Amino acid sequence: MAKDMTLLWGSGSPPCWRVQIALEEKNLQGYNQKLLSFEKGEHKSKEVLEINPRGQLPAFKHGKIILNESYAACLYLENQFKSQGTQLIPEGAAEVGLMYQLIFEAQPLAQKIGEVLYYNWKVPEGERHDSAVQRNKEALKEEMKIWEGHLQGCGDFLVGKSFSLADVIIFPVFAYFIRNGGSEERYPNVAAYYKKLRDRPSIKKTWPPTWIDGPGMGTLKDI
Amino acid sequence: MAAKSMTLLWGSGSCPCWRAMIALEEKNLQGYNHKLLSFDKMEHKSQQVLDINPRGQLPTFKHGDTLVNESYAICLYLESHFKSQGNQLIPDGPEEQALMYQRMFEGLTFYEKLGSVIYYDWYVPEGERHDSALKRNKDGLVVELGLWEGYLSKQGSGSFLAGKSFSLADVVVFPTVAFLFRFGLSAGRYPKLEEYYALLKDRPSIKASWPPHWLEGPEEELLLKDI
Repeated sequence: MAKDMTLLWGSGSPPCWRVQIALEEKNLQGYNQKLLSFEKGEHKSKEVLEINPRGQLPAFKHGKIILNESYAACLYLENQFKSQGTQLIPEGAAEVGLMYQLIFEAQPLAQKIGEVLYYNWKVPEGERHDSAVQRNKEALKEEMKIWEGHLQGCGDFLVGKSFSLADVIIFPVFAYFIRNGGSEERYPNVAAYYKKLRDRPSIKKTWPPTWIDGPGMGTLKDI
Repeated sequence: MAAKSMTLLWGSGSCPCWRAMIALEEKNLQGYNHKLLSFDKMEHKSQQVLDINPRGQLPTFKHGDTLVNESYAICLYLESHFKSQGNQLIPDGPEEQALMYQRMFEGLTFYEKLGSVIYYDWYVPEGERHDSALKRNKDGLVVELGLWEGYLSKQGSGSFLAGKSFSLADVVVFPTVAFLFRFGLSAGRYPKLEEYYALLKDRPSIKASWPPHWLEGPEEELLLKDI
């Protein structure tokens, strides 16, 4: 099964990391994989474009099936391999509802982090405004407060008592935030959640290799 | 009856709200309680909404004690909870299922690119707007439209986004397509999208949930007519 799977990925990319965590949790170790470099532009190489015309990672193949969206790959893996590995979708209406809601709330979370981190990369010089930079920082602060609220009174996981797709999808984003200087003092619930899960086998095993060498940029330290 | 224990707060002319309403219809959950709120009057930021959704966004949805915000979450929740009633929205076969999920999530990018053009003035304060930025956003939307024309060409006429059956991919993406034409997209330039739009616009679930203010008259500014 895993032998029919191939993952093209880049280090430090939350979307790629999600798929790697899901594969581990579903006991699909042994899949073929290739680490590509964003810095060298390898995500725009012919090899990737043939699987993903958007030139984005992750690009995932299972036999003839192609999945280039991390959420799609995670949902597909859970549905197709429901009975093996960790059950990633909880029983119970309320928990299912919360899980789905949180994974979609992760979209604005990731987006707002990107708006701050990549402002100069995304916005050409003539269009930049201090007011926009300020606004993006404020928006990210508000977003992080929402997540502090979500994690208030939570056990070890985002939803209920078990590890779920919510953790698969969202843990990498929190790790990314902290990696880029996000404050553990200002966001203690996020920090506590991060510390509880970072040693989970599926997460430890797939920790971005480029993060092991040392701390990242502190770009988000003032958030 | 399940629908009677459901409440949807929504606004007219909102793709996310429309998605949830299509899903409710497809799962035979007509008769749900609902309240139409006005974006213009900022009712989405009212206490009533903030109490259920601290983000002050619509749709918000309650099923008994279960609260679900986020349109895609509502759709996935409904399909999971009511799998055996109404139309099956997630295919079982691996290939079709994978394609469905893939298109569903590409639908988020599609909606984002649409919004970057039609909601440009809503998102960007006056002092920060640039013609160059709007042009870039329009170019990005054109590239995105090219991808979807391609996807629909590959599927063949009369087909839905993920194959022979209507699925969650259509539930979440059709509203985006309807918005494109509402805002003046040229059917001549995007024939496959036009065909898809024509295929679905009279589907009962879609017709029943059509944005009410669209029935009153055309859009004032056809922001997409030149792309």
